[in-house]
Amino acid sequence: MSETNLYPGLNLGDGHGEAHDQAETTVFGFWVFLMSDLIIFGILFASYASYLDPIGMAGGPGPQDLFDFKSVAIQTAFLLVGGAAYGDVSLAVKYDQGRGKVAAWLLLCAALGAGFLFFEVKDFITQAGKGGTPQVSGWLSSYWTLVGLHGVHVLSGILWIFAMIAQIATRGLDGVVKVRLSMLGVFWHFLDLIWVGIFSLVFLVPLA
Amino acid sequence: MTKPNTGELDPQDSAGSEIKSYTIGFTASLFLTVGAFAAAMSDLPLRWKIACICAAAILQIVVHMRNFLHLSFSGGQSREDLLLVLFSATLLVIMAGGTWYIMSDLSGRMHDTDAAMHEVQPR
Repeated sequence: MSETNLYPGLNLGDGHGEAHDQAETTVFGFWVFLMSDLIIFGILFASYASYLDPIGMAGGPGPQDLFDFKSVAIQTAFLLVGGAAYGDVSLAVKYDQGRGKVAAWLLLCAALGAGFLFFEVKDFITQAGKGGTPQVSGWLSSYWTLVGLHGVHVLSGILWIFAMIAQIATRGLDGVVKVRLSMLGVFWHFLDLIWVGIFSLVFLVPLA
Repeated sequence: MTKPNTGELDPQDSAGSEIKSYTIGFTASLFLTVGAFAAAMSDLPLRWKIACICAAAILQIVVHMRNFLHLSFSGGQSREDLLLVLFSATLLVIMAGGTWYIMSDLSGRMHDTDAAMHEVQPR
């Protein structure tokens, strides 16, 4: 891309006039929030890594007892495809492909996010059934906090998607909605990025 | 500063390169993910498995930032965005890396003392 990006995420471009300029400040502000979110996740990663030894597990169940390789792979696939699907949302908005198409891609993102959450919650229930509840050990507390916080983010992302679909239906794709969709895009891709850290460090490293 | 909305978006012109960028990002992420899972299941020595998983994760994070979040590290980005990312990364290295270092050092000093005890005890 030759033109300079004014803000993170796929830029709307000059063709969108004021919405493109408005997005510069608004999306940047949202990006500031996401970077502070990143710090929170980073600290949780650090405490997870610190507890990841026999002392941190305090005689409770460990990764080999609780984690399900296949389920993690399924969740990863859901999120990865969900992230790519939001690329289509951004492109549909940028190239004026109509609100039907934008809403359809948004619905696909929400469905993939919901699929991810379904398997994650199923895993949490199974793990709690095997005695892996958060109060059992420091390692389990950090695991539930880190992965649970990411899950809450995905849930709020899905709620945000439905809010945006409602706004597209009532307001149409006006400047305000476009800016908000740009923010949602950055948020959605950011969750994907955090999940890369989670599936690598939280699940794969202890199972390796 | 507002620019006139000309309504001319030359869609075919840059949509092609953007779709290509997303496709490259998705394909690379797919390969790196599959690679990380394959490494975890392989028979490599533990040290190598962990190294592979971490390398794949770092590469994939870079791919996500470049192709999905459209952060460019070669000047095609507004300066504040890039500064913010670099500042956050610095904070992370200090706080998360520091936490991990202090805790593992402490753990080494307090718990893995069998070997150290034997060295000290004869005196």
